[in-house]
Amino acid sequence: MDKLLDLWFASGIYNVSGGQVVMIAVGLMLLYLAIRKNFEPLLLVPIGFGGILANIPEAGLAFSAVENAVHFASPELLLSFASVLGISGIDPHDILQAYHTANASTHAAATLLANDNNFNNGMLYNFYSVAIASGAAPLIIFMGVGAMTDFGPLLANPKTLFLGAAAQFGIFATVLGAVGLTSLGIMDFSIQDAAAIGIIGGADGPTAIYVASLLSPQLLGAIAVAAYSYMALVPLIQPPIMRALTTEAERKIKMVQLRHISKLEKILFPLLLLILVAMLLPDAAPLLGMFCFGNLMRECGVVDRLSDTSQNALINIVTIFLGLSVGSKLSADKFLDMQTLGILVLGIIAFGIGTAMGILMAKLMNKLAGGNSINPLIGSAGVSAVPMAARVSNKLGLEANSQNFLLMHAMGPNVAGVIGSAVAAGVMIKFVG
Amino acid sequence: MDNLLSEGLTLMVFGMGFVFMFLTLLVVVTTCMSKLVVKYGPAPQLKAAPSRAAVPVAAQVNSDELVAVITAAVHKYRS
Repeated sequence: MDKLLDLWFASGIYNVSGGQVVMIAVGLMLLYLAIRKNFEPLLLVPIGFGGILANIPEAGLAFSAVENAVHFASPELLLSFASVLGISGIDPHDILQAYHTANASTHAAATLLANDNNFNNGMLYNFYSVAIASGAAPLIIFMGVGAMTDFGPLLANPKTLFLGAAAQFGIFATVLGAVGLTSLGIMDFSIQDAAAIGIIGGADGPTAIYVASLLSPQLLGAIAVAAYSYMALVPLIQPPIMRALTTEAERKIKMVQLRHISKLEKILFPLLLLILVAMLLPDAAPLLGMFCFGNLMRECGVVDRLSDTSQNALINIVTIFLGLSVGSKLSADKFLDMQTLGILVLGIIAFGIGTAMGILMAKLMNKLAGGNSINPLIGSAGVSAVPMAARVSNKLGLEANSQNFLLMHAMGPNVAGVIGSAVAAGVMIKFVG
Repeated sequence: MDNLLSEGLTLMVFGMGFVFMFLTLLVVVTTCMSKLVVKYGPAPQLKAAPSRAAVPVAAQVNSDELVAVITAAVHKYRS
């Protein structure tokens, strides 16, 4: 009978908390959206599954050795943790609080104490430390994105870089929104949190994760989920804004054929961009450096094997671990609070403002040039989300005029948006990091 | 609280300003690079593309002319 009771006390049903049930439901919902509705399945499947794994009661997959040890520890062990961390009480909550704020050497001492008592890091915690805390996974993905990007349309019409710049206004407007909510006492975000939330408006998953991991790791789960969900929702969010801000005649504007771009220009562009970053904004160097490296591998034509690996095999492998690691941040105690709701609302506002500013910038450029050389629909592609946003521009263009193919023209602002949000990320890291 | 708000405003002004400055510079540098490459760089592909495109057009014109000539010849022969 005792054995039966032991089994019962160790079971998931006995230990599960309400928050964990809710989070497992959230994980299942993400899986449903990914599998049934095809919302960014490559990311939401690993994130959703990771979220479920992270919330399995008693398994502690998403927790560090110390967190697991404190959860299971006897009072004697708690006492030794308290003495290592230099606090008097043995309340597990206080101990974890002290652990999270401790400096690196105390941190290591506590971890070693946990290891001595046969407690280890959970699997997802290890994935998180290797993939995200180190900054590696988002940067490797950025390299792959660079290797997939064709700068041809951008080089043929460099002015479209302005559209990519204008769309970044969504990022900074949202930062202001987040600190505004804090000033009004509705939410409680620090300036770092606000910056990390704003970058959702860049509509660029790896950039958002990279910035969040540096500026406010505790919000990473919510920020990543918001960023990827909204990227999947681009075909729903953008068209109403685009229709509202353009007239029928503007949507019908045909753009001139893009000129041919020589191979030499395509090779020189990533190098120029790299030099510009190195000279002006070294804080964006990790992101844009990897991006330029990937693009150079693609365009130089002598390392096709490396380029192929970074845009296929490597990016897939890293995506799996990145997704699971993001999922590990969906544990109930960190995800279920008002801040997550605030992040979701602010994220979609960031997206909307970015889209609107891209379109308005295109109209402004038409006014200044005194002609109708730019179809304002391509402005909305300035919020990265490659290539989804460009496809949306193309679709709306075809609706207005069935002979109007905007896809290649929209790819210009689209990749400009990637550069723009990486620059904005660098500025954020520089100013508030 | 006001401090936080002014920090946010500063971030917005500086951030947006910097993004625009950076991308404007990129536009200038890229345009210069493209001009230099078009002027001094090797451009075999540039010439190859139009000539390839020109071939079918020329062929079409030729065949039109040919048809006209043959028709005229036939007419003349029959009359």
